[in-house]
Amino acid sequence: MEKLNSNAAYEDAGKNWEGAMTFVVQKDAAFDKDAYIYLDLYHGKCRDAKFSFAESELPVPEYKYSGPYTNWRKLINKEIDPIQGLLTGKFKLQGSMMKVMRFTKAAKEMVNTTAMVQTEF
Amino acid sequence: MWYFRSPQIVFGEDSISFLSSLDVKRAAIITDRNLLHTDIPGLVQKALPPGTESMVLGDVSEEPPLSEMTAHLSRINEFAPDWFLAVGGGSAIDATKILFALYERPDLTVYDITPLVKLGLRKKSRLIAIPTTSGTGSECTWAAMLTVEGEKRKHELASPEIIPDYAILDPAFVVSLPLEQTRNTASDAIAHAVEAYGSTWRNPYSDAMAEKALELILGGIAGVMSGPRNLELRNQVHIGASMAGLAFSNSQIGLVHALGHALGGRFKTPHGKAVALFLPHVVAYNYDACPERYDRLNKIVPDQFRGGKLSNSLENVLGAIGQARSGREAGIDAREFEANLDNLVLLASESNGMMTNPKDAGSSDLRSLFMKAYAEEAP
Repeated sequence: MEKLNSNAAYEDAGKNWEGAMTFVVQKDAAFDKDAYIYLDLYHGKCRDAKFSFAESELPVPEYKYSGPYTNWRKLINKEIDPIQGLLTGKFKLQGSMMKVMRFTKAAKEMVNTTAMVQTEF
Repeated sequence: MWYFRSPQIVFGEDSISFLSSLDVKRAAIITDRNLLHTDIPGLVQKALPPGTESMVLGDVSEEPPLSEMTAHLSRINEFAPDWFLAVGGGSAIDATKILFALYERPDLTVYDITPLVKLGLRKKSRLIAIPTTSGTGSECTWAAMLTVEGEKRKHELASPEIIPDYAILDPAFVVSLPLEQTRNTASDAIAHAVEAYGSTWRNPYSDAMAEKALELILGGIAGVMSGPRNLELRNQVHIGASMAGLAFSNSQIGLVHALGHALGGRFKTPHGKAVALFLPHVVAYNYDACPERYDRLNKIVPDQFRGGKLSNSLENVLGAIGQARSGREAGIDAREFEANLDNLVLLASESNGMMTNPKDAGSSDLRSLFMKAYAEEAP
């Protein structure tokens, strides 16, 4: 959340975005349980962020972006583009397609931000 | 993992005769308003198999708004075609793609036409595109532009399912294209090839298409402009334009189209003219993100146009074919432009081209590019 809120490129690209999103990390051979990251995104800022292993503990988002853990690793390592990931079935998106297609740059910046976080897999 | 998608392409002189080999019972021929009273719809009807029933829907305006397209749907539903034939420029082909999707799936809205939604088309009909301009590439692409009244924006619809089944590239259908449209559509095709080559989604297939497209178009366009009835050169540019369409359809557009769609949506500037304003400026802006690629493209530019950098070469080409080189030359009032600049930046920032441009651009970059292109600053 801190990284996202200090990313000027995301703030610019998402300045008209309103809507919360949950990233769903689905269990696979490399990770044994589902995980959920809820982000309340509003006008280029992240107003709230929550993490849980139980979806029911989080607010209902406008969008859900879901994929198996292994694909998330590839996304964070920039081996998969977030939109190409959707188009090739590596990830799924639930929510209004019309709206989200106008904010593809913001999506890309969001992923760029995740790559800024020191991560150990 | 990625894809290379293409229609089956029939090209060259008399390729329209291919239609007679198809099993067509009821053909909906959708064409531009300005082609309705030419011999083109008749040529298409004549090429269909004997006994084919056809309807000609000939009042598609340039960049038709959604309301106009939905008005056509009831006639199409009543006729119940098993083939759609899009005959015209980008507007007619894009409109046909949308009508085809809505005819197949009446439960959809146009906004469902995204690559993220499985449409399940081709249950009732199939789609052929016969372009009468050389530039939009729409006959080969998954894209369709849509104008919505009151919004002053162009919506970029796309789906692999609206790629035509066949694209027929018959040079006889472009030999009479007026010079202004020849110039604008060729400018668009050049932009497609260059943007595809720089795109972050580029791939070996789109690269091959982009390189060859540029070679064919730049090698032929000056000759077409000075001798528009030259069928051989028309054929060369026509094939090049479709290859440029395949290039960007499989790798995506970039900033040139983001800016061009915004400008065209607001000022009704013809699309090719709009993208031509931005092309050299965006190439100069992007250069440090992909210098080797742009240098490689510059080697493809014919000697007569080649400058030190690709941006200079493109400026030379566009100048040589008489393309507008400033907003004023493109007919955009300076005060109107300034008054709309904030909105233009916003519209461009929401284009898909922002995502795949080789260099990330923020609002201040977009503003600067708009101003440079308007003012005819050297790239």
